[in-house]
Amino acid sequence: MFKGSANVGSGEHFMLVYNNGGDMNGSTNKDRTNYFERLPSNQLDLALFLESDRMRALDITKDNLQNQISTVKEERRQSVDNQAYGKTMEMFDDVAYENPNYKHSVIGSMADLDAATVEDVQGFFRTYYAPNNAALVIVGDVKPAECLAKIRQYFEVIPSQPAPPEPDMTEPAQAKEKRLTIEDPLARATRIDIGYHIPSAASPDFDALSVLSSVLSSGTSSRFTQTIVRQKQLALQTFAGPMESRGPGLFRAIGILPPGKSAGDLEAAIYEEFEKVKTGTIEDWEIEKAQNSARRSYLSGLTSSLQRAVVMSQYAVYYNDPNLINTRLDRLMAVTAADVQRVAVKYLTPENRTVVITVPKPAAATKGGE
Amino acid sequence: MLKRTLTSAAFVLLALTVTTAQAPVTQGMSPTKGVVIKGKAPVSDTVLKVVLPKAQHADLANGVHLIVLEDHRVPQVSIQIQMRGAGGYYDPADMPGLASITAAMVSEGTKTRTSQQIATELDRLAANAGAGTASSSETTVLSMGAMTEHLDKVLDIATDMLLNPTFPDQELARYKTRMKGNLVQQRAQPAYLAQEAYGRVVFGTHPAGRMMTAEALDKITRDAIVNFHATRYAPDYAYIGVTGDVTLADIKKRLETKLARWTKKGLPQLSVADPDAIGPARVTLIDRPGSVQTNLIVGTQMINRTSPDYDVARLADTIIGGGPSGRLFLNLREDKGYTYGAYSRMTTLRYRGDWSASAEVRTEVTEPALTEMMKEIARMRDERIPDKEFADKKRSLVASFALSLESPGAILSDYIVSYIYKLPADYWDKYPARVMAITQDQVQAVAKKYLDASRLQIVAVGDGKKIAEGLKKFGKVETFDAEGKAIRQ
Repeated sequence: MFKGSANVGSGEHFMLVYNNGGDMNGSTNKDRTNYFERLPSNQLDLALFLESDRMRALDITKDNLQNQISTVKEERRQSVDNQAYGKTMEMFDDVAYENPNYKHSVIGSMADLDAATVEDVQGFFRTYYAPNNAALVIVGDVKPAECLAKIRQYFEVIPSQPAPPEPDMTEPAQAKEKRLTIEDPLARATRIDIGYHIPSAASPDFDALSVLSSVLSSGTSSRFTQTIVRQKQLALQTFAGPMESRGPGLFRAIGILPPGKSAGDLEAAIYEEFEKVKTGTIEDWEIEKAQNSARRSYLSGLTSSLQRAVVMSQYAVYYNDPNLINTRLDRLMAVTAADVQRVAVKYLTPENRTVVITVPKPAAATKGGE
Repeated sequence: MLKRTLTSAAFVLLALTVTTAQAPVTQGMSPTKGVVIKGKAPVSDTVLKVVLPKAQHADLANGVHLIVLEDHRVPQVSIQIQMRGAGGYYDPADMPGLASITAAMVSEGTKTRTSQQIATELDRLAANAGAGTASSSETTVLSMGAMTEHLDKVLDIATDMLLNPTFPDQELARYKTRMKGNLVQQRAQPAYLAQEAYGRVVFGTHPAGRMMTAEALDKITRDAIVNFHATRYAPDYAYIGVTGDVTLADIKKRLETKLARWTKKGLPQLSVADPDAIGPARVTLIDRPGSVQTNLIVGTQMINRTSPDYDVARLADTIIGGGPSGRLFLNLREDKGYTYGAYSRMTTLRYRGDWSASAEVRTEVTEPALTEMMKEIARMRDERIPDKEFADKKRSLVASFALSLESPGAILSDYIVSYIYKLPADYWDKYPARVMAITQDQVQAVAKKYLDASRLQIVAVGDGKKIAEGLKKFGKVETFDAEGKAIRQ
C-alpha cells in the first residue's frame, strides 16, 4: 500500500508524510485494516490526495508485490518466528476457534505469503478497499464544511463496488476443554495461555468482562499480581482480559512461570482466582478502580487527535456507530459487582476453555566458557 | 485546539513550513534508493503559524526548581520529581543496580502504608506513582499521574514514598526473586542480548554500558538501600516538572506543604566522566542457535548534549535513519526487502553518548545487509547530500517539532532539557531557525568526525553456525553465547 498509485510514486507516500513532519502507518487485525497519518493542518490536501489516489488506483504489480511479500516475511520473522512464544499466539487461535475467519493467523504463514498472486491482491483490494466498505475520520484543526467539500472533491470520483459478502461471525459452542503443549526452542520459561469463548465486543457482557479484567490483572493491586505473582510467587508476569473482537471473542489469561515452579500449580492458582470471583465478594474499591481507570484512559485518549480518529473509525466500521466514543464509558460505569460475577460464572467454565502450555526446548547450543 | 487554549501564555510564532519548490522529479532520478517521486501531490508551502507554549518557572522554599506547563484540556496532572545524584550512574562500583532497586523499593512500604495499601489506593484512583532510574542515568525520577480531583491524595502517597520508605525485608526478598526470574526471561529476547553486548563494546565499564546481573542482585543489602536513600534522595540537585490541569501557584503551594520536611543534605558537587575512548572497530557475535533473523547494531560513541555539534548530528541522524524516509529504511527495506525496518538513533547526556544504526534481518542476508548499513554510513561521510533530500529532511525535523506540540509531556521534556543543560531561554524558539541554517558541508563534517570506520562497533545476535563466516569480512569476530560467556574460537 506504500508502493505507489496512479499519481504517487513507490515510497513517495511516506516520503511526503515524513518530509512534512508527519507520521503514518497502517494495521490489520482479524476484523479490519486501517491506514492513518498525522500531518500539520496546512497539509490536509496532501493527506486527502495520497489516500484517495491509492484508494482509486493502487499500483499492484508483480515487482511491488514481491517486495512487499519479502517485507511481510521479515515482519513475520521479527514478530513471530524469532520471538519466544511467537508461535503460541498463532497456535492458540488455531486451537481455540472453529470459525476459519478467526482461527487463522492475520500475518499468514510463509506458504500463504508465497502463494499470494497479483490477481489475489487486486481482487481483494477491489472489493474490500472500496469506498462503500470504508470509513474516513479526520480529527484536528480543520473547518468542517471546508474539509467535507475537500473530501467530496477527492473521494467522490472513486466508484463503489458490489458489497463484499457478510463474514461468518458465528462460533459453535464448545463442549469440552481443548488442550495443547508446544515446545519452543527460543523460550526460557514455561508459559500458560488459557482462553474462554466470549461474545462480540458489542455485547453488554463485554463491558462486565472488561471490569473482570481490571479486578484480576490490572495494576499491582490486582488479584493475580498480589496473590499469584507476589504471595505464591508462581508467576513472573500475569494477564487476564477480553480481546476486543467484532465477532466471537476470547477472554484470555496468561502466566509466565518462574524457574523451579510447577506449571500445574500456576494453572490451579489461576482457576482458584476465577472461583473466588464467582463465589466470593468483589469489593467496592475494585469496581471503583475499574471505573476510574476507564475514565482516565478515556480522558488521556482525548488529548491525542490520532487516538480519537483511530477509535472512531473502528467504531464506525465495526458497529456503524462512531458516537460510541462518547457513550462507551457510560456502559462501563454502569457495570456492577453482580454483573462481573454473572459473566465469570457464565464464561469461565472448564468446558469452554482452551489451554496451551509452552515449554522451553533448549536448542543444541554451542557451549560457552573459557 | 492547542492553539486556542494556550493563547494566554506568552508565545512566539514559529514559521514552520519552509518553501521548497515541488518541481516534478523525473522518474528514476530520485536521489534515494527505493523511492520514485512523481511530484504530483499537492504540498502546501504556506507558513504555518504555531504557538510554542511557554513553561513557567519557580523555586520551592527548599530550593528545588519547579517547571510547570499548564494544559487545561482535560482534568489530569503529571508530576516528575527528578533527583540528580540518585541515579544508577552513582551506583557504588561494587554494587551495580543499587539505585535501581532503591527506586523500585520505595513503592514497597512506608512508615504508615504497606506495599499492598499503596498499590490498592493508587489503583483505586487509577493513578500512578513510582520511582525509577537506569544505570546510565544521573537521576532517579519519582513520577506520578492522576486525575485532577485526586491530585492531593496521590501527591500524599508519592511524597510519603519519597520521604518515609521502610524497605521491608520480606518485600526486598520477593523483589529479588522476581528480578532473578525476569533476568532469565530477558535472555530469551534477541533485542536484549544485542543491547547488552552493544553497551559493553561501546561503553566498556562506564555506567552507560552496565546491565543488572543475578550476582550483583545478591550483593545488595537492605542497609545499602537504606543508606543510598538517606544520602541521595536529596533536594540538593533536584527539580520538578509538572504538566496538566493545574496552575503554577496552586501546585507550588501543594508541593511546598508536602515537601516541607525535605531539606538539603549537603550532597557534594556532582560531576560525571566521559566513557573511555572507544576501542578499535570490532565485531561481536552473540550466538543464538535457532534464530531466523540476525539483530544487527552498528554504533560508536558520539557527543554529549551540550556539544556545539548537537543540532547537526541530530539532522545527520534523521537523514540516515530517522523513520521510514531515512536512508537505511529505504535501502534495506524498500529497495532490498531484507528487513521489516532499519533505523538509527542517538543518545546524548551530560557525558559522551552514542549513535547507532540497527536492523533485524533474515539470517541468510546478514552479510549483504551489514554491507549496506556500512555503505550508508560511509555515504554520509563521503558524499554531499543532494539538495532536495537535504531540504526535505530539514523541513521534516522542524515540522515534526510542530506536531510534537500536541503533547504537553513532549514540550515539558524540551524545557527540562534546556533547564538542566543551561541552554539559552529562547533555545526552543530558535530551534527551527537553527535547523534551517545548517549546511550540507556541516553534516558531512560531523559524519566524518564521529562516524569514522575505524571506531564503528558491530554487534550481531543470530545463529552463529550460519552467520559467523560472513561476519569475518567486517573484522575480527569475538563470539559469546546467550549467557554472555566468551566462546573460544
